[in-house]
Amino acid sequence: MKVILAQISPCLGDVRQNLDRHLHFIEKAAKKKAGLIVFPELSLTGYTLMDMVQEVGLKPAQDATFKPLKILSRKTDIVLGFVEEKEKGVFYNSSAYLSGGRIVHIHRKVFLPTYGLFEEGKFFAQGKNFETFPTRFGRAGLMICRDFLSYGAGYLLFAGGADLIIVTSAAPGRGVSLREEFATSHMWELMGEAISFFSTSFVLYCNRVGFEDGKAFAGGSFVFNPKGKLLVRASSIDEELVSVDLDLEEIGAARKKWPYKRDDKPEIILQALQRIVRKYED
Amino acid sequence: MKISAAFVEKVLCAFIRQELARFSYRRAIVGLSGGLDSSVCAFLAAKAIGPKNVIGMILPYGISFGEDVRDAQSLARRLGLRSHVIDISPMVDAYFSRYPTQDRVRIGNKMARERMSILYDFSAREKALILGTSNKTELLIGYGTIHGDMACAINPLGDLYKTQIKKLAAHLGVPAKILKKKPTAGLWPGQTDEGELGLNYSEIDQILFQLIDERKAKKDVIAAGFDSEAVEKIVNLIKNSEFKRKMPPIAKLSSRTVGHDFLYPYDRNR
Repeated sequence: MKVILAQISPCLGDVRQNLDRHLHFIEKAAKKKAGLIVFPELSLTGYTLMDMVQEVGLKPAQDATFKPLKILSRKTDIVLGFVEEKEKGVFYNSSAYLSGGRIVHIHRKVFLPTYGLFEEGKFFAQGKNFETFPTRFGRAGLMICRDFLSYGAGYLLFAGGADLIIVTSAAPGRGVSLREEFATSHMWELMGEAISFFSTSFVLYCNRVGFEDGKAFAGGSFVFNPKGKLLVRASSIDEELVSVDLDLEEIGAARKKWPYKRDDKPEIILQALQRIVRKYED
Repeated sequence: MKISAAFVEKVLCAFIRQELARFSYRRAIVGLSGGLDSSVCAFLAAKAIGPKNVIGMILPYGISFGEDVRDAQSLARRLGLRSHVIDISPMVDAYFSRYPTQDRVRIGNKMARERMSILYDFSAREKALILGTSNKTELLIGYGTIHGDMACAINPLGDLYKTQIKKLAAHLGVPAKILKKKPTAGLWPGQTDEGELGLNYSEIDQILFQLIDERKAKKDVIAAGFDSEAVEKIVNLIKNSEFKRKMPPIAKLSSRTVGHDFLYPYDRNR
């Protein structure tokens, strides 16, 4: 199965232009016989939207923007990011999985970073769930950027039976050192390696590049296989279509060797969590 | 504090290139003083968009800074930039002949704003965006003239301390003569930043790094061995220059106000 990570730089607030670029890259992916193409977080709108959130919100069930995307998803599965107006006047930072001409799953970002240079909690409603769903390549689960840095969220997708963990991101680079990348780039790969190894799943991470108001989005999109091996990593600065072949047999092979999946104890974790939550409610 | 100059160069060149392109500009303007920051900025711009698209503006006050003018001119020649030399003394003198003063800071600030005014006129004349050269050290301690040398369209250097810019300069191949110069705001002949501040840049930058990047409290920085007077002085400089880093506050009356809750990015629809 060929996967393409579209490490692009969306135009801030211009859905029309971004849609055209999506269609262009999806057609390119189809020509390369890719099964799946993944775009970054908020790929249809850009990231630093602020008050524009209310102007670019889409209702995917009826919005015309999704029509050509649904059509192209008959050939190539698509993961993309957009602002979703789920209820009137309530906006989510969402990602969608499209396949077979329809939207199969929508994930609404749960962890909205609101500190330092991040202001998502000011503009978006908070998603409330991490769910897996069936695809033609196995069960998949979606996370958006900061979601991925919560190992609880990664665990939920693992417990939900994910074979593919797909992370869309708009992560700005922060911190320069003697390394040829931003200090924060390592953080994402660290999680990618850990989650892929301990969940024995593929982890696909698609970050964006480009600048918004001086923030440099740090690219570095990657794929880890279910044994925690890095298969590919994109540049930190440039737009890139990263192509990688996944051997889906590796999921079973990894789980034979490392029975984390077999030995998982969600009911014990649930009970323990309930006890913890009860305690701090007292 | 240590940086990979090669990586920083790549990021900053991409920033200059992309920011110009998104506002449909091909050209950039840099005010060249003959000093370190503006030379680094010119090098980056020349690499990012090609030297023919960079306009170097050399804006001396009379002949008092002859050597700096020659250094700036030789840098522009070396990089292959288009450059203009404009003597700002007639404009500045015309004003101070009516409102005379001996206050060197007032005179220096007026010169910085005269240069700004010319840069912005050339920005319109040449359809070029102004690249700022205020570094992180200056921005934090407020060592710059508001609406003067701090004014620009985009600033590639504002998140690098002076000592980091020196590293970047060496990597880019900025001439040794400029690297070795004592940093000066050019407020008056013989003025040096370190002389005026009473601290050297290496000391200032290390203290700033502890306070700002490492988010350490003043007392912890002093406990770590930094001179308490220097730390105290720097903390006060930061506090007292907040107004230079912000747009002026607008008295809020309505339900949606510019600067308060009318919130759009700089790069809106770009």
